[in-house]
Amino acid sequence: MKKQYAFLVDSELCIGCFTCAMACRNYYHPPEGVIWRQVYPLDEEIYPHRERAFYSLACNHCENPTCLNVCPVEAYTKREEDGVVVHHQEKCIGCGNCIRSCPYGAPKYNPVEKRAEKCSFCHERLDAGLKPACIQSCPTGALSMVDLAELEPGNQVQYPAGFPKMEDVNPSTRFILPKLPRLVRR
Amino acid sequence: MATNKSAFSRRSFIKGMVGAGVAGLLPCRFLVPQAQAAAFDPEEFQVFRNACPRNCYDTCSIKTYVKDGVVRFIEGAPESTFTRGGLCVKGYAYTRRPYSPDRVKYPMVQDGRRSGKWRRVSWDEAMDKIARKILELKEQDGNLLGLGMTKYSGNFGITNYAVEGLMSSLGYTTRFVGTPCWPAGIDAQNYDMGNMWCNDPEDMVKSKYIIIWGANPAWCSVHTMKYIMEAKRRGAKVVVVDPVFTQTAAKGDVYWQPKTASDGALALGMARHILDKGMVDRNFTDNHGLGFGEFADYLRGNVTVEWAAEQSGIPAEEIRQVAEEFASADPATIWIGYGMQRHTNGGASVRSIDALVAMTGNVGKEGGGARYGHLQTWGFNYNAMIQQKPEGSVGFVGGAAKGEFDFTSGSEASYSDRTVNINKTAQNILDTKDPALRMLWVSCKNPFGQDFDRPKLEKAFDTLEMVVTVDQFFNETVANSDIVLPVTTLFEEWTVNASYWHYWLGLNEQAIKPMYEAKSNIEIGMALSRKMNELSPGSCTFPQEPDTREWMAKEFNQGIYDLFGIDDWTALKNGPVKAKLASSASWSTFQFGTPSGKYEFRSDICKDNGHMALPEYMEPRKSYDKFRLLTPHTKFAIHSQFLNLDWMQEYDKQPYLYMHPEAAAEKGIKDLDMVRVFNKVGEQKVVAKLTTNVAKDCLLIYEAWFGKGSTFNVQNLVDDESADMGEYKAGAPGVAIHDQFADVEKA
Repeated sequence: MKKQYAFLVDSELCIGCFTCAMACRNYYHPPEGVIWRQVYPLDEEIYPHRERAFYSLACNHCENPTCLNVCPVEAYTKREEDGVVVHHQEKCIGCGNCIRSCPYGAPKYNPVEKRAEKCSFCHERLDAGLKPACIQSCPTGALSMVDLAELEPGNQVQYPAGFPKMEDVNPSTRFILPKLPRLVRR
Repeated sequence: MATNKSAFSRRSFIKGMVGAGVAGLLPCRFLVPQAQAAAFDPEEFQVFRNACPRNCYDTCSIKTYVKDGVVRFIEGAPESTFTRGGLCVKGYAYTRRPYSPDRVKYPMVQDGRRSGKWRRVSWDEAMDKIARKILELKEQDGNLLGLGMTKYSGNFGITNYAVEGLMSSLGYTTRFVGTPCWPAGIDAQNYDMGNMWCNDPEDMVKSKYIIIWGANPAWCSVHTMKYIMEAKRRGAKVVVVDPVFTQTAAKGDVYWQPKTASDGALALGMARHILDKGMVDRNFTDNHGLGFGEFADYLRGNVTVEWAAEQSGIPAEEIRQVAEEFASADPATIWIGYGMQRHTNGGASVRSIDALVAMTGNVGKEGGGARYGHLQTWGFNYNAMIQQKPEGSVGFVGGAAKGEFDFTSGSEASYSDRTVNINKTAQNILDTKDPALRMLWVSCKNPFGQDFDRPKLEKAFDTLEMVVTVDQFFNETVANSDIVLPVTTLFEEWTVNASYWHYWLGLNEQAIKPMYEAKSNIEIGMALSRKMNELSPGSCTFPQEPDTREWMAKEFNQGIYDLFGIDDWTALKNGPVKAKLASSASWSTFQFGTPSGKYEFRSDICKDNGHMALPEYMEPRKSYDKFRLLTPHTKFAIHSQFLNLDWMQEYDKQPYLYMHPEAAAEKGIKDLDMVRVFNKVGEQKVVAKLTTNVAKDCLLIYEAWFGKGSTFNVQNLVDDESADMGEYKAGAPGVAIHDQFADVEKA
C-alpha cells in the first residue's frame, strides 16, 4: 500500500478541549465562519452524556477524494508522497462544487477570498519535519498522525457511529471509541 | 513567481497597516499553504519567549513567531516537559488578542457611567485628570485612604506588582486584600502542614491511585491530564469526586456525585473505615503526626460510614471500597480542587481530605500528596511593589492584612495601608468611612465579572467620585468607570511568570511594540508619577524612567537563580527552566512548617483562630432557594477573559444554563428554551440545555464574559457569603461561591 497520512482521533483520550481547533486558527487565521478543524460532541445516543465525548474532525484526506473529482479546474491534487489532499487556492474559481459534494463537509467557502479552502494537513510543516499544528497542540495525545500503510490492526475503526460511511471515497481518518466510567450518583 | 509576488505585496501592505494601527482589523492570512509552498522555514521569523500570565494552573511557556513586527502564530515551548509544545484553547487565542478590533486603544473618558459616551483623550489629559483628583483627595481628607486599589489575577506577571507599587508611592491607600480563589484551602493546608505546598504534578504518573476531588483539569489544567492518563495507562485507578459529571469525570474509572458541600463528611467516612480496617500508616502518624490519637477518637465517637453515606448520598459500600483501595495503593494521591473549598465549610473539608491523605502515609511521598497548590517558585524581589511613601504621608493606624501573593517583609512605619476584604467589594465600598472611599483604581481585575452581588456592586460604584480602570477591553467594569487606560498584552511587555502548580519558570519578552497607545502597568505608573510631580513636586515617589526591561531584571535574585540552576535571567531567553527539586514530593523530609514541625491532625493555631482543632465535620450552608446554583469555570475562558474574542466565539457563541431533564420537565422547560434564573441577589436570562451531567437539584451556569453588549453575568446570582477560612494566610476569608441557590422559570 502507498503511504497515506491520516489523523487518528482517540476519543478515549480526547477531553474535548478544542485546543486543536484553536491551534489551527492560530496558525492560519481563517476569517470568521471558516473552520478547518472542528470538535464535535457526540450525540447522546452514541455516548450517553451530553458534551462529554468528542470527535475532532478536519479533512479526511480520502483515498478517492470527491473534491478532487468534481473540481472543474484541477484546484485539488493528491500528493504522491503521502496522500495529503491539497487545495490550490490560486487555481480555485470559487464554483463551490467541492463544498457541495464533500460528504464530510471539509471544504469551506472563504468569503474574503471568494474561494474554497480546507485543512491542508499542514503539508508545508510536514515538509519541514514538523507535526501539523493541531497534532502538536493536543495536550493528551488524542489527536495524532498515522500512516495507514503501516498502521497495525488494533482497536481503531474507520466508521464509528455518527460518522458517514462513504466507502467510495475511503476516508483516511481513524477513530478509537470513548469509554465510560463507573457512575455512582445519588 | 506569482506566489512570491503576492506574498511580498501582502507583507508590505501589512507593514503599512501596522504603522496606522489597524492591522487587527484585517483578516490576516499569512500562512495559507500556496500551490508550490516551500517547507515551513523558521528562519523567516523572529522567535520570542512568552509565558501565559493568567490565573491558571498551567502557566504555559510560549514560543512566539513574529514577522515584520506582527505576531503570526504561537506554540507551546518544547523545552518545558509540562507544556510540551502545546498550549490550550485559550492560549492559542492569544494570537488574536493584541490585534482584536475590540481593544481599548487609547485613554478614554466616559461622560456619565454606563452611558457609553466615551471620548478619546491624550495620555497627558488622562493623567492630569487623575492626578488632580488624587491631590484633591489628599487636600480634603488629609490622607489618601480615600483612594482604593483593587487588583487580582487578570495578570500575574511579576512586574505587574507595579500597580501596588504605584499606590505605595502615592502614600497610604486602601487595598482590597484576600482572594476569591483558594483562601479557605490555603489556610487549611497551613494549619495541617505549615504551608500550602504540592508535589510536582509531573510525578502523578507514579501514582497508583488518584482521587480528583472537586477539580476539573480536563478544562482548567489540560496539560496535567496527560500525567493522569499516563498513570492510568500504567494501571492506576482514577476516581473523580464532583457534584457535576465533568469532562474530567468522563475520563476517570469511577465517578462519585456527592451532595454539594458534603466533601468533609465523605472524607471522614473514608477515614473512619480505614481506621476500622487497621489500614492507618502508623509509621507516619506516630513519627510525623501530631494528635492522630485525638483524631481517631473523634472518628470513633462521631463518624460512621453510614452517616457519611447519608450526608453525601454516596452508598456506604462504595465509600468502603474506595477507602480500602486508596489506603492499600502505594503511592496514592488526592488532588484537591479550588472549587470544593468555595463553601462555608470549605476549609474544614480540605482539612478532612488532608487528614485522609496523611493517615495513609501519602504525604511527603513521590506520586502521593494532598495536592492543592504552591508558591515555592515565587521568591522574586517584588521590586516593583516596594516604593517609599512620599514624606509626611499619613495613613491608617494599626495592623493591616496582607494578600497571599504579598512576599514583602513587614513595614516598620507607624502607619499602614487600610485593608478591606476583596470578597465583599460592594459592601466595603458602601461601608468604609473616615475617610470614605472616593476613588478607585482597578487593574488586572474585572470586579463586575468576578466580584459578588453585582447589583450591589453597581450601587457601590455609584457612590465613588472617580473610577479609573486599566484594561484591554471594554468590559463591564470599564462601563462603570470614568476613565479607562489601555494596557499592554503579554506580547507587548516584559515580565516573568511562575506557576502555583508546576515548577517551571518562564520569561515574557516584549515580542512586538505596544499596539495603539497601550502602556504596561509600569509605564502607566511612570506617566502618573511624572504628572503628580509636575503638579505637586514630591507627591509621588514612583520612578519616572522608562526602561521596563530593567524593571524585569530587578525582580531576580540569587535565591531564584540557585533554585532554577541559572546564572542570570537572560538564560531564560533560551527557554523555560524547572526548579531543581530534591524530590518531586513536597514535605519529603517530613519537616513540616507547623509549630510542632509535624503534620498536625490537631492544630492549636486553627483553634486559636476560631475553628476546630481537629478536622471535624462542619455543617454546610443552609439552602436559601429551590436549586443549588453552581457557577464554575468554562473551558473557553478564565473568569471574564478570552470569550469576548471573536476567535473564541467561533467555538462558543453563547452561554447556557445546564439542568436535569426531570427538573426541567417539572418546570415545563424544554431543551434550548430561554429561561430566567433568579434568587435574592438578582436574575439572569439564559438558554437552557438539558443534561444528566448535573443532579436534579442543581443548576449550572459557567462563568464568562462574552463582550459586544452581552449582558450575561453570573455575578447577578452570587452573593458575598464568606467561607470558613482564609483570613489567616490570605488576609480575608474566602467566599462561598458554590453555596448559592436559585430558582428557574421559562422566560
